[in-house]
Amino acid sequence: MRLRRLIIATHRDVGYFFAGLTVIYAVSGIAVNHIDDWNPSYVMRSEVVEVGPLPEAAAETLATDVLLRLGIDEQPRSVVRMAPRQLKIFLDNRNLTVSLPGGTVTDERSRRRIAFFEANYLHLNHGKGLWTWFADVYAVGLLLLACTGIFILTGREGLGGRGRWLLLAGLTIPIAYLVWKAW
Amino acid sequence: MTRTVAAFVAVIAVVGLAVAGDIKGTTYGDGVTIVEPTPIATLLAKPRDFVGQKVRVDGVITGVCEKRGCWMQVTDPDTGQGVRIKVEDGVIVFPYESMGHRAAAEGTFEAVKLTPEQVAARAEAAKAAAAGAAAAAGEPCDKAEAPAAKAGCDAPVQDDTIYLVRGTGAVIQS
Repeated sequence: MRLRRLIIATHRDVGYFFAGLTVIYAVSGIAVNHIDDWNPSYVMRSEVVEVGPLPEAAAETLATDVLLRLGIDEQPRSVVRMAPRQLKIFLDNRNLTVSLPGGTVTDERSRRRIAFFEANYLHLNHGKGLWTWFADVYAVGLLLLACTGIFILTGREGLGGRGRWLLLAGLTIPIAYLVWKAW
Repeated sequence: MTRTVAAFVAVIAVVGLAVAGDIKGTTYGDGVTIVEPTPIATLLAKPRDFVGQKVRVDGVITGVCEKRGCWMQVTDPDTGQGVRIKVEDGVIVFPYESMGHRAAAEGTFEAVKLTPEQVAARAEAAKAAAAGAAAAAGEPCDKAEAPAAKAGCDAPVQDDTIYLVRGTGAVIQS
């Protein structure tokens, strides 16, 4: 009886403590599962604009000219002549690829996808260091939740009845999938 | 004793500055330990001579893997020549916002043999890029006269080997 109380208390407290992080990881998990279909961390936008023919000049001079024609009042982070006919201008979260001498500009803008960027940063452990340790603690917390969860109920609702079948069903799905893939 | 400690600290400080070079910022992976960068033009002029060697390259970040941050392209702004720094997925993640920043990166210079499908895809991409450039310059690809566009439009199947740096670390200017 005392053990059951401990199991319930552990499940409850660990559950409360990690509820927020579980939601964050779950949302990020769905987001990155579909990484082939979308960019889960950034919103990218691209448009093509014409600024007219550009005379041959040094990269910096050309960049100043292009920015002036586009009405952009921002000091470029850097300007690189990628090829004789291509110039790249890097601004804050914005890259301009200029075709020379025609003056076709591909204007690419990016911004962080609100909430998803942060969720993915944590879930994929981009920060490393201290977060690795906390993520390990979270993994141990999930183990505790799983192990205590199956012993919370007794009788027909617990491992002695319905719970047993659900537990087996949950284990069968990944095993069946692996067997199917290996076939 | 105090003097010895002070001298030791001074030496460490000087060495630290030298290692950091002129690029200071956020460190990724193991950072940069090689003091002298190899010019990208030198690497690409005779790539086979550098295969297997640990090298440092400096330049401007002109491309980053959008979704995973698993590679970045470092380009020498003086020559326009660039090299890709490829890292293990998830081990080092280059942020997309680092585009246009100066960076120093190091790792092992590698030759990667492409599959016939990859060679064909690269040739197609080069043709498409050249067609776009030619069109932008007012020359349809099939009538391109400018040498650069013409070479691209007629792009033959390229060499089946690409060269990259298998990155172990980088410093990206903030």
